[in-house]
Amino acid sequence: MSEHAILIRNMNKYYGSFHVLKNINLEVKRGERIVICGPSGSGKSTLIRCINRLEEHQSGDIEVMGTMLDENVDHIDEIRREAGMVFQNFNLFPHMTILENCTLAPILVRKIDRVEAEKTAMEYLARVKIPEQANKYPGELSGGQQQRVAIARALCMNPELMLFDEPTSALDPEMISEVLDVMVGLAEDGMTMVCVTHEMGFARQVADRVVFMADGQVIEQGEPETFFENPQNDRTKTFLSQVLGH
Amino acid sequence: MSISNSVSHDGMRTSMFGAIRKKYFATRTDIIVSSVLAVAVVWLLVNVIDWAFVNAVFGAGKREECLAAEGACWSVIASRWRIVLFGLYPFEEQWRSGVACLIMVIVAVLSCVPYFWNAKRLTVLWLSGFGIFYVLMRGGFLGLTPVFEQNWGGLALTVFIFAAVCILGMPLAIVFALLRRSELPWISRTMGLIIDTIRSLPLLTIMFTFAIVSPFVLPDWAIGDKLYRVIVGYAIFFACYQAEIIRGGIQALPAGQEEAAKALGMGYWHRVGYIVLPQAFRNALPPTINQIVITFKETSLVTIIGFFDVMASGRAASGNAEWSFAHVEVYFFVALIFFVFVFSLSRYGAYLERRLGVGRR
Amino acid sequence: MIAILKNRHVRDTSFQAGFVGALIILIVALVVTGKSNLEAQGLTSGFDFLERSTGWRISFSLIDYTTSSPYWLALVVGLLNSVFLGAISLSFATFIGVAVGVMRTSGNGMAELIGTTFVEIFRNVPLILQLLFWYSLLLSLPSPRDAEPILGAFAFTGRGIYIPGLNITGLSFFLIVLALVAGASVSLWLSTADRFKAASVAVRRKWKFYAWIVTAIVVIATIWWGRLPETAFFSIPEHRGLNYREGIRVSPELFACIIAISIYGAAYIAEIIRSGFNAIPAGQGEAGHALGLSRWQIFTRIRLPLAIRIVMPTLINQYVWLFKATTIGIAISFTDFFMVVSTAINQSGQTLELIAILMGGFLVINYSIAWVLNRVNDAIKLKGTQLRI
Repeated sequence: MSEHAILIRNMNKYYGSFHVLKNINLEVKRGERIVICGPSGSGKSTLIRCINRLEEHQSGDIEVMGTMLDENVDHIDEIRREAGMVFQNFNLFPHMTILENCTLAPILVRKIDRVEAEKTAMEYLARVKIPEQANKYPGELSGGQQQRVAIARALCMNPELMLFDEPTSALDPEMISEVLDVMVGLAEDGMTMVCVTHEMGFARQVADRVVFMADGQVIEQGEPETFFENPQNDRTKTFLSQVLGH
Repeated sequence: MSISNSVSHDGMRTSMFGAIRKKYFATRTDIIVSSVLAVAVVWLLVNVIDWAFVNAVFGAGKREECLAAEGACWSVIASRWRIVLFGLYPFEEQWRSGVACLIMVIVAVLSCVPYFWNAKRLTVLWLSGFGIFYVLMRGGFLGLTPVFEQNWGGLALTVFIFAAVCILGMPLAIVFALLRRSELPWISRTMGLIIDTIRSLPLLTIMFTFAIVSPFVLPDWAIGDKLYRVIVGYAIFFACYQAEIIRGGIQALPAGQEEAAKALGMGYWHRVGYIVLPQAFRNALPPTINQIVITFKETSLVTIIGFFDVMASGRAASGNAEWSFAHVEVYFFVALIFFVFVFSLSRYGAYLERRLGVGRR
Repeated sequence: MIAILKNRHVRDTSFQAGFVGALIILIVALVVTGKSNLEAQGLTSGFDFLERSTGWRISFSLIDYTTSSPYWLALVVGLLNSVFLGAISLSFATFIGVAVGVMRTSGNGMAELIGTTFVEIFRNVPLILQLLFWYSLLLSLPSPRDAEPILGAFAFTGRGIYIPGLNITGLSFFLIVLALVAGASVSLWLSTADRFKAASVAVRRKWKFYAWIVTAIVVIATIWWGRLPETAFFSIPEHRGLNYREGIRVSPELFACIIAISIYGAAYIAEIIRSGFNAIPAGQGEAGHALGLSRWQIFTRIRLPLAIRIVMPTLINQYVWLFKATTIGIAISFTDFFMVVSTAINQSGQTLELIAILMGGFLVINYSIAWVLNRVNDAIKLKGTQLRI
């Protein structure tokens, strides 16, 4: 069993001729919680989407839970099963109920029987504190509720690793905390998490390490205390003053 | 132009007279235009009603009265309706033809009920309805005397061709659409070329090619009956148009839907079957219904290839020496049959469009 | 080994190769079977038959054609007939369709009612039924012996519609059409070509004006030069005895096709125009009112131009589709391209080659229509990305 959840070595990605990710090196151990931050256009979303092959990298290695992310279709399928993802725009399936959203993948992909899948789904829905919405449709829920359902849906696959791509950026301010609370709870239960976010309070509270990216490169990383109190790089300092200043 | 709301200056709703005045006679030009048009319409209506009802002859077998009268001769319908609806189907078995058509009408009506908007249920509904249709028409089972395809005619033949084209064409359309949207460039571009080429050709030439030309290029075992060759050709044509409609529906889907399915580990067929296609069809429902309506209308072209569909049977009904003067009345009858089907389906399509538009977030 | 099969690139390449390969095998199989079947029947394949003379007549032809003309000429005649029918029908369909579309959005209750009835009746009945109806109506007109001329120059008879025309050679008629097409193309080119984008609108208009002057001169000169000797300039139908002499006879087949396709097309075009009008935000009309423009001015200068620009892509599709509808002429034996090809197949047996020619001909025409209309669309469409309409 590999000690590392994610191992990225010398990874480069291009959009056509545009070099969007430059020589990325990143290690995430099991049980670690990483927060990736940085200005827009820095490539943080692209990086996290490369991990489960929603985007393809051109050179370098990405290894997830001991499986190398290469051209082998079995490898890609396995990585997608073990890594759960939560999107900025929730991406719930609008033509299915909440319960069906959560049970679809376990039934089809993990071949779990329907009764058991529903039981697991109800447990996770209870954990994100909306079990009563199980038979409603996504369109009938608020943004914060939908995002919590999205987290539950990802958890129903029992992943080893959770990826969050700006999970609160599309939410109205009063709903952000309910989602962050769920994520904090997840962290306290020991889930390996990689989270792209602007929520610095969350980073301070939960992260084992904060990674700062700009212009497609990892500029600086460190434990929250050192990162926020004593940033080394000038770019980091500028960014932090902009984000924390108001 | 004219602002149509029925609240007058003092805020009270105007009377019906006021509403009519606003709609038809609001300005000076309106008054002139409305009056002139009204006169023209009234003149036309008077003549038509005169021809169709006042001077017309109703009831069967009144040929001599028809020849003497100035108005329409509806007796031709009363005497010859069986030919129009059933063609040359044997007289005693025509009830089977009628019941079969009724079953297809019921299938069409049920397809409009949201309960059936589910791939499994629709497939079961159409396949079983079509199966019953075929058994009833063809006979040879359950003690029914066999009646072969050469003797099928009239409305029943039109309905048969239409249903067969839809049942064959819809799955084909899904396959074409998925191939067209493939991420593999050779496949998507080749498919695009095929679809665009077939869509550029007139339906008549495609039917003609499959009916007359294909026996030359097919091995003997694949030739089959002319009726089924034409159905296959028409189904491919239908599939090309419907594939573009489905593709439009898929493109209207946010990219995040497929990404979420990928992130959950779902494979290609699971993604397409559970997430992409159900939503794409909801998006594409109004144009799909439009396409089905047009398909029903264009089925009338098979008469040119020599099939005895409802157009040909109409001409046959007024084609004998007895009733040859009354072809206009028969045309009206056939037109009415088409009009009823086509109009109701397109109204339903318009209703769906409004309903789905409102329900969308 | 298994690893290679699981490799995404390997899979993708083999799927693509398999797909294209299967298609090629299918096409080759069809061609081979076709060739062997034809040879078994003693027919040669190949396109040499195009030089043979046909031996059969064509009822309507715009250029000289006799029974000893070669097959390729017969195909050209058919093609010209289709283009001729298409051009006339599409033009009429546009006029009528725009008129009905305007009626449906006019705000006048009576006009809307008539417009709606027109659209619903002619859209919901199959084209072939409408065609047969008009044809039987035209055939039941009085015979030339009994028909009286209308306005002294038009005669509606069961053997055709007689209209006055010009006495010029067929060749000069073609040259005139060619000149008009050339003039329109030059005008279009001036509007859309990149080379002229830098020039101001006034300069481009000046050049277009010159182009049309040149075209007009060419047309008039051709008419003058192409006059038939010893005939009057105008040919007006005259009732002489049992028949009509002079004038141009429009056969009932052609006339029925024109009426049917024009009306059917008009019903569809009217709907498209109506949706175009509905897509114009109310604010446009309100701005016009606020500026003091009259209803008619708002309609002709603001709403109508906008509606046409909005629906141009849909209209292009509709025109291509309508042109394909001209094949319906075969139902009443109008010798369009399709009918000529099918007669040729009957007479010569060269099925595969003729089908290929048929499909090729339609593809070329459809792509040409789409290409030209897309250039027009580019010329008139609303420019820029910041439009808040």
